[in-house]
Order: sequence, then C-alpha cells, then structure tokens
Amino acid sequence: MKYVIEVENLTKSFGGRDVLQNVTLNIRRGESYVVIGGSGSGKSVLVKCILGLLKPESGIVKINGQNTSKLSQKAMFQTLLKCGVLYQGGALFDSLNVIDNISFGLIYGYGKSQKEAYGIALEKLNAVDLDEKVAKIFPAELSGGMKKRVALARAIATNPDIIFFDEPTTGLDPITTGIIDELIVKCTKEMGISALSITHDISSLRRISDIVGLLYNGSIIWEGKNEELDTTDNPYIRQFLAGSPVGPFTQ
Amino acid sequence: MDFLSKIGRMFIKFLSSIGSVTLFSVSSVSSGIVPPYYWKQIAKQSIQIGYFSLPVVGMTAIFTGMALTLQCYAGFSEFTAETAIPSVVMIAMTRELGPVLTALMVAGRLGASMTAEIGTMKVTEQIDALMTLSVNSYKYLVFPRLLVSIVLMPFLVFIYDIIGILGGYVVGVYYLDFNPTNYIHNTLSSMSNWDVVSGLIKGAVFGFIICLMGCYHGYRSNGGAEGVGRATTNSVVSSSILILLLDCILTFVLF
Ligand SMILES: Nc1ncnc2c1ncn2[C@@H]1O[C@H](COP(=O)(O)OP(=O)(O)OP(=O)(O)O)[C@@H](O)[C@H]1O
Ligand SMILES: [Mg+2]
Repeated sequence: MKYVIEVENLTKSFGGRDVLQNVTLNIRRGESYVVIGGSGSGKSVLVKCILGLLKPESGIVKINGQNTSKLSQKAMFQTLLKCGVLYQGGALFDSLNVIDNISFGLIYGYGKSQKEAYGIALEKLNAVDLDEKVAKIFPAELSGGMKKRVALARAIATNPDIIFFDEPTTGLDPITTGIIDELIVKCTKEMGISALSITHDISSLRRISDIVGLLYNGSIIWEGKNEELDTTDNPYIRQFLAGSPVGPFTQ
Repeated sequence: MDFLSKIGRMFIKFLSSIGSVTLFSVSSVSSGIVPPYYWKQIAKQSIQIGYFSLPVVGMTAIFTGMALTLQCYAGFSEFTAETAIPSVVMIAMTRELGPVLTALMVAGRLGASMTAEIGTMKVTEQIDALMTLSVNSYKYLVFPRLLVSIVLMPFLVFIYDIIGILGGYVVGVYYLDFNPTNYIHNTLSSMSNWDVVSGLIKGAVFGFIICLMGCYHGYRSNGGAEGVGRATTNSVVSSSILILLLDCILTFVLF
C-alpha cells in the first residue's frame, strides 16, 4: 500500500455552486503534503470531505486503502482514531479546560486513565511551547495564538499516523511559527507521520512541505515537489509566492 | 395553481422534518444504549436540568397555586360550592397545570440553553472535533440530556404539585378562612394515585420533547451567532407548541 490518503475525482458543491471539482491527490506514508490556494478556494472543505465530515457529491476517498464511504460508523471511528485534526478555528471545547481538551481523545477515544492522559497532555503542552500554568485555564481566556497551539497539542496528543493541519501557524508570531514548523517537520521526518496541511505562510510552506498542491477554482491546478517551487514557471505559483496583485489569479 | 403548489411544498417540508426528527431521535437513543456510558456527562446534566430548575419550578408553582385558589373561590362561592375548591385545585394542579407549566418553564430555561450550547458547538466545529476524536456526538451530547430530562421531569412535576397545592392551602386557610383540617381532608380524600401518576407520565413525555427539540435545533443551526439565535427561537416555539398539542392528546388518552 503506497498511499495513506487517496482522493479521486472529488466533487463537492453547496447549493448548486461547485466548491471542489474533480480533485485528485495522493499522499504517501511519511510525506508532508501542503495545500495552498486563495481564501475561499475550498481547502478546508477538502479536508472535511476527506475526514467524512462533509459528504461529497461524487468521488472516492481512501484512508489507509479503505474507502471511507463504505466503512461502518464503528470502522470509521477506528480510522479516525489514527488521525489528528487541527481545525482552522481551533474548535476547542469551551466547556473543558486546556488539559481536559488535550486529553479528551486519550480518555474517550483510547480509554486511558485520567492520570496517564494528563501526563501525556502536559508533554504535548511543552511540545507546542506552552507553559504548564495554562493547563487549568478555559479556552475563552486564551489568546488566539495560544488557542491554536492548544488545538495543535490536542491534534497530536493521541500520536496519530496521519495529521491534518488547517492553517497551523496563522496568527502566531514568527518565533512560535518556527517552533511549530519544526514540530511538524519532526513529526513527518522522524516519526514517519503523514501530513496534510493548509497554509498561507510562504516561509512555513518552504519549511514543512514535501509536496505542494495549488487549489484554484476547485481543482488542484499545480502539484510539485518543494524544490520545484522555485524552479517552476507556472504563472499561478509565481504570483502566489510573490504575493503580487497582478497575475493570472486576479485577471 | 401557485397556491396549491405552495401548500404542497409546505406539506412535503413538514413531512421531511418529521422524518429527520425521527431519525435524529432514533440515532440518539440507539447511540446511548450501548457502553461505554458517559457518567460524568449524565451527572453534569442532572445538576443542570434537575437542581437548577427547582427555583423556577417552585416559584411558578406557588404563584399559580395561590392564584388558582382565589379564582376558584370567585367562581364557586356564587353556588356556595366552596368545599369543592381544595379538590378542584388539587386535580388542576396534578393533572394539568403541573406538567404543562413545568414543561413550558423548563422549555424556556433548558430547551433554549441546550440549543444555544449545541448550536454554538456546531458552528464552531466542536461537533466535528468530537467526531474526529472518535467520540459519537449523539452519545456524548444528546443521550445524557435525553435520559436526564425523561427521568427528572416527573420529579420536577412532583415538586410543582406539592408546592402548588401548598400555595393553594396558604391562600385558602390564611386568606379565605378555610378550616385547615377540612382543607387538608378535602384535598386528600379526593386525590387518587392516578391524578398524580398521569401528571408524571405527561412530565416524562414533555421532558423528552423539550430535550429532543433543544438538541435537534442545535444540530441544525448554521451561519454563526445569528443562526444559533434563530435555532434557539425555533426550539422554544416548537417544543412549546408540541407540549400543548401532546397535552391535549395525552389527556384524551390518560383520562
Ligand atoms: N457549510 C458550508 N455551507 C455552504 N458553503 C460553504 C460551507 N463551507 C464552506 N462553504 C463555501 O465553500 C467555499 C470554500 O470554503 P473553505 O472554507 O474551504 O475555504 P478555504 O479555502 O479554507 O479558505 P480560507 O483560506 O479562507 O480558510 C467558500 O466559498 C465557502 O463559502
Ligand atoms: Mg480554510
């Protein structure tokens, strides 16, 4: 089994408007795939379709070789147990404090004891460069960047095989961004975790990606290796990386 | 033609929402009956639904009990039938006002907050997060609330009955100068178990309805704060109407 995630001809529309059209992408084990694209191009929708949170109109999604639309609810939960997800808005449970948020999957998904789960949660809190003092704080009292890091800690708490990161570094200062990027690289390079990330941050993109896909008008219009970012003369990539207001995107 | 097609569309929409509510309740109940059980959630909801509703239910009971006794007096004294007042108040309280008013108050208090809480979780992707953390959100969010509502609503109705009848007693004895012993005797001698039990059954059914509507509308909310607000209104309105409708039906059935 070569690919951890296979997406074939995925189409998703909302109220007759196609957001994704025939998207196809494959991610190998231990590979870090990064999706870039303009705001509203359907990146978050793509991740939700892969996770089965949104039902696509057509197309196939396979995780670890299993067609997710054919899985029973129980089997789908088993599959999701191996996935760590960071949502764009954090999606922290407001009724639980930081440490309960991070240990949630360990306790409810894996059935670990609270003591053991808290131990792991504190470890992950350190990994995202947060002080143990925030453990008892509720999400509403955290800053935007702290929320993001707690959500990141929750996503990696269960030591998943596949991680989905929707804008992991948006709203973080450059140094924390560097720390988080390093964490993602460590996950994929050293621990063999496969990753599908979304980012708008070009320096992050260069650091964390093995493969880059550019989503535009609902399709992946360019896909290439990290090194090809600088060598390609695809006009869309050139405009995106330069952040220039003139180019094919804006025509 | 246009008019007919409008009615047709409304009818189809009505049927499809009945279908989705049914589906929602079936998946919620079936998710909850197999282990693991989320005891912590059940305990938390018991406190929310049972304990914190007591002041509201108690106040409703005492005021309506007093007012009802006075109104009965106004009507019954014309026919010198004052001795019937204690039993009329008792029957009205246990059979009708207890379950209906408790349910309407709880719908306003809890139905609304369930919708707001679950709706906010929906629009901020927390329900998605539950799913990707391998937790069935129906089992974690809906089932504990349903269970606790069905079990504790009869208890709240019972509290209402006691406090309401007590309110009637206070007005009857201290304001209308009834003989205390006679008042109590008249109340108890005409009371049957069925008066109380039928009210408690109604309470359990209403508890189910309040919680079902609260959670269902929460799950269906979309579009940020405004959407959650709209869902909350829908939840309270639909559960109130269903409570009154079912009260009528149940009264025919349980009479
Ligand atoms: N639940 C939904 N209902 C209707 N339309 C939706 C829904 N979710 C997303 N969309 C639409 O799908 C399109 C893509 O949204 P998506 O959130 O995937 O964008 P994105 O690429 O992640 O953007 P950003 O970079 O700003 O996060 C948007 O036009 C949005 O309006
Ligand atoms: Mg997005």
